[in-house]
Amino acid sequence: MSAAAAEAAPRPLNLVAELTYRCPLRCPYCSNPTNLRDFPDALSSADWARVFREAAALGCVHVGLTGGEPSARRDLPEIVAAAANADLYSHLVTAAMPLSSAGLAQLKERGLRSVQISVQDAEPGSSDEIAGAVSFARKCELARTAKQLALPLTLNVVLHRRNLGRVREIIRLARELGADRLELANAQYHGWALANRAALLPSRAQIEDAARVVAAESRSAAKPEILFVLPDYFRDRPKPCMGGWARTHIVVAPDGRALPCHNAAQLPLEFWNVREKSLAACWEESPGMRAFRGEAWMREPCRSCPERVRDFGGCRCQAFALTGHAANADPACSLSPDHARITASHQEPARAELRYRERTA
Amino acid sequence: MRAASSSARVDPGALERRLHALLDERYHDKHPFNLRMHAGALRPDELRRWVRNRYYYQTRIPIKDGVILAKSEDREFRRSWIRRITDHDGDARHEGGLELWLKLADAVGLDRREVASLRNVLPGVRRACDAYVELVTGSDLLASVAASLTESRAGALLGLRAAAFEKHYGWIAPEGLAYFRSRTEQAPRDAAEGMAYVLAHASSPADAERCVAALAKKCEILWALLDAVEWGGTKPRLARSAQLRAGEGMVVLPERAVRLTGSGREILGACDGSRSVEEVAASMRSRHPDAENVERDCYEFLEQMQKLGVIEAPA
Repeated sequence: MSAAAAEAAPRPLNLVAELTYRCPLRCPYCSNPTNLRDFPDALSSADWARVFREAAALGCVHVGLTGGEPSARRDLPEIVAAAANADLYSHLVTAAMPLSSAGLAQLKERGLRSVQISVQDAEPGSSDEIAGAVSFARKCELARTAKQLALPLTLNVVLHRRNLGRVREIIRLARELGADRLELANAQYHGWALANRAALLPSRAQIEDAARVVAAESRSAAKPEILFVLPDYFRDRPKPCMGGWARTHIVVAPDGRALPCHNAAQLPLEFWNVREKSLAACWEESPGMRAFRGEAWMREPCRSCPERVRDFGGCRCQAFALTGHAANADPACSLSPDHARITASHQEPARAELRYRERTA
Repeated sequence: MRAASSSARVDPGALERRLHALLDERYHDKHPFNLRMHAGALRPDELRRWVRNRYYYQTRIPIKDGVILAKSEDREFRRSWIRRITDHDGDARHEGGLELWLKLADAVGLDRREVASLRNVLPGVRRACDAYVELVTGSDLLASVAASLTESRAGALLGLRAAAFEKHYGWIAPEGLAYFRSRTEQAPRDAAEGMAYVLAHASSPADAERCVAALAKKCEILWALLDAVEWGGTKPRLARSAQLRAGEGMVVLPERAVRLTGSGREILGACDGSRSVEEVAASMRSRHPDAENVERDCYEFLEQMQKLGVIEAPA
């Protein structure tokens, strides 16, 4: 197969619509860029409607409405309706603030298909402390509303040193709230989380204990479906980040830039903006999207590695952040010459205080 | 062994009590499907499903006993144990358990050729039965024999079953019950032989633990077999959270999309909540009378779709 054929743009399935980076929470592992002030809300609801139509035409079937906090936008109902009009399956990712129960009911009327609510811990005080805002009670209330509205409900909890010991309680909370799915998402150390790594990175024993609890609890009941992926910091192999660079997901950031993942704007690459070009052009032709599509860009040890088809060389953003070159193997891989940058972090002295993201809503 | 091991010998009485306590707790006589069977609550289609699927278990018994035979260096042991194989396979003078089971199939109104073809065996049943053969294959002789000790409850269970069939399921001809009667006598004898072997040969605490673990695994296997039989009667329908995009041959869920192949679309189309898993497979068979593995492919597809949350199959 020629390199050109290998790099042809595949059909994307999933549009991640980052409607705004504003958020009333201040979680110290936020996946938004640390320079989030450089990303204004540049797209109107009419712009988003066009992006949704173009995404559907490209082959997307699913849109994740996320942020920041998507309900920080007052025009969220129009945006949800636009997703339904484009025949996209819409999934709202919310911190439950400022969204109210009545607001969620309205979104369902406008065509919202499912909702994911984040909780920071099973214990209210700790959850509020990590969120940097009093929010736990509201989150539980909105989860109950979602069930009353018969909206499929996912509960998402980012795991780290401070809450890994309460995985059992978190699963119990998810059951109490009637969640269909529980995402136990081990913190990924990019951006804010990387800045807080010394305060968040758990011990191997904590991860292993949690994995055992999850395995036992998953066997004991069908609901919720529990998703728990061992974090790449504790494995010898990288994760297949985004299912491969610019392969199945398009992220559109609040400023309109079309990206292959949440963090890619941090890389020294040129991405195009949906305000200036069609989504199809951004996806298929922008230099940034093309940069790591396929395998032609790979260096050793990835280039000759039989596992490259499974993990795609791991995460480009992590390679860039820890080695300075986005085309290097993800240092999470034990075959990477830079693997010590991951393993050394396990010896770092723990830090107690958290560096919160700034308040933006 | 050194003298220190004398303090760690196995008390046969204590081991026997542990094995019985385990059976009290986990033997499948308490499985909801068995409770319903013996209370007379099963519909004919449910009984047929059980007879059809349980036949696969019956076919595995002589195979696992062959594996056990091959593990023994002791002529006396083999001379005795080999009887279990002829009990099921039969010989010149006696019909074996497998033939008697097919007579049960006749009596409940199944086509014995269909049953013997194993083509409608549900995948969970197949997995459970294969797991038994694997357990025996991967264990030493002692643990393999311990796994067979569920026999010590089979005599009572089958006596109860024969009586329940006569009382509640009068539509089944009495000739069909010969299997239960034959096993009511064979099982206690087999169980006594197995228990005596285990108690005589479990000499260290580690041996005892392995025996308990093997019997626990066997109980799990019998339980899983009935779970799988029950699954065959559930009526799958598209999950509430799923959106079927027929044009693209895709199902979209809150956080995943599943691409369907040609027959996948057809099978999913038949999952309207009114047909059982078995009936969906039968409808696929009637549409594709000459295709191979239609039922098996259908069952496996439905299992996978349920795991992915595409379909819900309330009991």
